[in-house]
Amino acid sequence: MASTAGTVIKSGVKQVRPLLSVDNAEARKRVLNLYKAWYRQVPYIVLEYDIPKNESQCRAKLREEFEKHRHAKDVRVIDMLVVKGQMELVETVKRWKQKGHVMNYFRTPINPKPNDFLSKFIAGSA
Amino acid sequence: MASVIVNVRPGLKLFQSVLTCSSRRAFGSTSVLMNEDPLKLAQLKDAPLKSLDDLLSSSEKNDGLITVENKVDISILTGVPQEHITTRHVRIWKPVKHAMQSGTNNTHKWKMEFESRERWENPLMGWASSGDPLSNMQLSFGNKEEAIAFCEKNGWDYSVNEVVEKQPRPKSYGINFSWNKKTRTSTK
Repeated sequence: MASTAGTVIKSGVKQVRPLLSVDNAEARKRVLNLYKAWYRQVPYIVLEYDIPKNESQCRAKLREEFEKHRHAKDVRVIDMLVVKGQMELVETVKRWKQKGHVMNYFRTPINPKPNDFLSKFIAGSA
Repeated sequence: MASVIVNVRPGLKLFQSVLTCSSRRAFGSTSVLMNEDPLKLAQLKDAPLKSLDDLLSSSEKNDGLITVENKVDISILTGVPQEHITTRHVRIWKPVKHAMQSGTNNTHKWKMEFESRERWENPLMGWASSGDPLSNMQLSFGNKEEAIAFCEKNGWDYSVNEVVEKQPRPKSYGINFSWNKKTRTSTK
């Protein structure tokens, strides 16, 4: 018994209550469902919000947002991301957002932080 | 415009089902029995033999628990900007006792705070300014491990200032007059 407890600690796993999904397959199904729901709403979002992007650009962005969290392994974390994505989708489709909120997905940092020495020096932070 | 709204509705219903699909149903036994042919069920006399593995796995599922890794990174969920996760450093320490008083208040909890960033003086009023949203945040923890776990969970780099245990110096009045120790100082 003691040896099994030891292996559990060594392998670093624990038993927890699930958020929604009980295994990876189910979590994956939820993610795909959410992706499809977003994908289908893209034309309506483009039309309703009158944003200066076309459908393919929005779909590329959608893909990018999902790929951003590709490394998430924990089932509960994936579930929580799905819940948040779901909330975003509802907010978008029900028009609780405004144009700027949708365009925030496409925002690039205006003043990127200087990385190398010379640009840091010029910015006055070196 | 009207046609758009009509088109939006079925889509709404579709994605609302993303969260509601439940897996619990798959583990229930009654649904299996209902779908079985009643004639076949009547012929069954004994319960089918189950292996130990089946029993163990089913009990695990009944608990409703899942196995996950101990270390979870929730930094992608918290909404903290990436800049304040990767570039911040956390100091974990335990405040020391006030030097001028014997009370030990404020020394029982471990604290964490972020490294200080640029501060400047407001040119008009002379107030202290900072552009750092985490600058005045101190969190308290019951012990060091909790603080470390919190930092690891949130993806912050951290360092721990360990408590230095001071050895109490033995003090005695009589030792000032001992014959074999040079504790008496000459007045000349």
